[in-house]
Amino acid sequence: MNIVGELIVLLVNGLQTGAIYVLLAIGLSIILGTLKFVNFAHGALFVIGAYAGLLITQEISISNGRLAEWGYPTIGLEWGFFAALVIVPLFVFVVGLAMERFVARPFYDRPDTDQILVTFGLAIVVQEVIHALIGPRTYGYEVPTSAFGLLPMTGPIPVPLSDVTINVWRLWVIAITAALVIAVYAIVEYTDFGLVVKAGTRDPEMVRLLGIKITRPYLVMFGIGAALAGIAGVVGGPLQNINPEIGMTILVPAFLTVVIGGVGSIKGAVLGGTLIGMVQVTLISLGSVGVGGFTVNFSPWSQVGIYVLAVIVLLTRPQGLLGSEEVSA
Amino acid sequence: MSDEVKSAETGEPAEVESPSLYDRWLAVREREVTVAVLTFLGVFLAPFALVALPEMLGIPTQYVWYRSLVVLALIWGIFAIGYDLLLGFTGLLSFGHAMFWGVAAYAAGIFSANVTGSPIAMILVGTTTAVLLAWVIGWISLRRGGIYFAILTLAFGQMIYYIFLSPLGWLTGGENGFNEVAVDPLLGFLPLGAEVAVVPDILVQTWMYVFVGIAAVLAVVVANRVLNSPYGIVLRAIRENEQRAEFVGLNVWRYKLMAFIISGAFAGVAGSLYVIQRSFVPIENTLNWTVSGEIVIMTVLGGVGSLFGPILGAGLYMYVANIVSGMPAIGHFWHMILGLVFVFVVVLLPNGIWGGVDWLRERVGDALGGDER
Repeated sequence: MNIVGELIVLLVNGLQTGAIYVLLAIGLSIILGTLKFVNFAHGALFVIGAYAGLLITQEISISNGRLAEWGYPTIGLEWGFFAALVIVPLFVFVVGLAMERFVARPFYDRPDTDQILVTFGLAIVVQEVIHALIGPRTYGYEVPTSAFGLLPMTGPIPVPLSDVTINVWRLWVIAITAALVIAVYAIVEYTDFGLVVKAGTRDPEMVRLLGIKITRPYLVMFGIGAALAGIAGVVGGPLQNINPEIGMTILVPAFLTVVIGGVGSIKGAVLGGTLIGMVQVTLISLGSVGVGGFTVNFSPWSQVGIYVLAVIVLLTRPQGLLGSEEVSA
Repeated sequence: MSDEVKSAETGEPAEVESPSLYDRWLAVREREVTVAVLTFLGVFLAPFALVALPEMLGIPTQYVWYRSLVVLALIWGIFAIGYDLLLGFTGLLSFGHAMFWGVAAYAAGIFSANVTGSPIAMILVGTTTAVLLAWVIGWISLRRGGIYFAILTLAFGQMIYYIFLSPLGWLTGGENGFNEVAVDPLLGFLPLGAEVAVVPDILVQTWMYVFVGIAAVLAVVVANRVLNSPYGIVLRAIRENEQRAEFVGLNVWRYKLMAFIISGAFAGVAGSLYVIQRSFVPIENTLNWTVSGEIVIMTVLGGVGSLFGPILGAGLYMYVANIVSGMPAIGHFWHMILGLVFVFVVVLLPNGIWGGVDWLRERVGDALGGDER
């Protein structure tokens, strides 16, 4: 038993669990903060990403997939996976643009309850379309064992100073998420485009009066949010099983991440996701603990813990940990 | 006969014109007794219209509205009326109403296994539990409005689901559901599954139907009473403009909390009835968030802001979910079709299908008695 090793495993697992929530929450948070649009179909974008990635990597890239069945040469899991990492976000970006144009835009001026209802209906439709096209079966998701023979991508690696191992894919998820978060943060903070979007968050009327067409930045922002959800599907897929219902199950923790972190704040999304991931993983790994004669089993509470966390934050800091009062009103 | 009609009959020579049938109808239409009688007739005739009549007309029986479905539709209808009090009349979109329905179901089920299986006692226990839960959840969630309220209620619904699924698994049966429900005969001597002797069974088949039917009529009457009281008017005022209601000096938060609790009580009654009908508490059909989604769909499809719309929506949903889903070609896609119809209704028909019925009724009314309204 090595406490340092255990803590490192806990940290990696927590960060990785949170990373998926962060990827989803950034899109939700930006769209909610700038466009004031509640997207209950964000989980559907995650599922679209996961299935598109699955199709590219498994069905058309490895030797027993569709492409091989039809008699075409296959490109192998390795190439397929990296192709998916590029193609899927582009694809979901386009899906996001379409969604902004045809679903969200007509609803900007309607009450937020209508926005929730229509996106909720859309999420059901997407789920059922996948159901009908691919079936209710649960799929496993494979990741190449190494990136072009250079770096390991799956499989256990030993943690220094201890006798435990972690799955290296978890480190990849954390790294990919970190890179994307930094990129999005840079775009929003340091480009003219980001400036317009941020100004739009504060006062859309004023931005329009200044002669800036705000429609296009909104469209692009929606697409970026969607693309992030798509990537979340590809990198999160290998860690769980894929079925049409996961979109709805993952939507709740993603929303809680936004609520905990604060609407419209990228830093908040990162903080919220990390907190949720850590709470969940800590409760699971605590297992049974003897407390003064009683044995308390914490692992069944791991799902409950994140809701308790969200309630505590909301009651003490309603605008979220890093949210500002005005944006979250 | 109403006072208005009488005074018209015995009135001044200037208005000797005897009231048309339509005027008389207008005079009695809004009365509580009328609502009760109409609801009673609807509940009484539903099994005939939905089961016996299609059978007589020779519609293939495998698609006919199965008997127990009429009972289920009424139970979901009660749930939907309560939900509409919140969404349609107060303007609060809750995405966690499954928790009141589900917790009431568990409370009634566990109570029946351990204390007594009297159906009335089960309803009382289930509803009380739901009310207490609604009080706590409402007290916390109503601190935030709009989207936050929807997200918070969704989160609480999930939280209760996970609590009942795992940490409380020793009590609730976990994912297998609670299967020790023991329902006694009604009032001690009327078994719910037995046929009612005096009424022909094409109208009322079992005591179960009588029991649920009475509950449904009562639910409509109570909802009607709440909505037409000063309290209901305040709720509508809050839906229209919360800020203005606040400025008039109303304690908006308290009214919203009460609306939430009343709505939770309806869900509690319905949840307890559901367990009495099924003699089993399945966790996926009680506490899963999909149930919250279903009740939203039913209410919005049927029509928010009307008394009978949600019942219509519940009936329609039950029909599609249980009978259309069994049809050969389209059965597989029933959920998708329902989702598309739902999106269509949200976009184009803000008052749901009942809104369309209302529109038709107005047209007929205009044709009969002019545009007096």
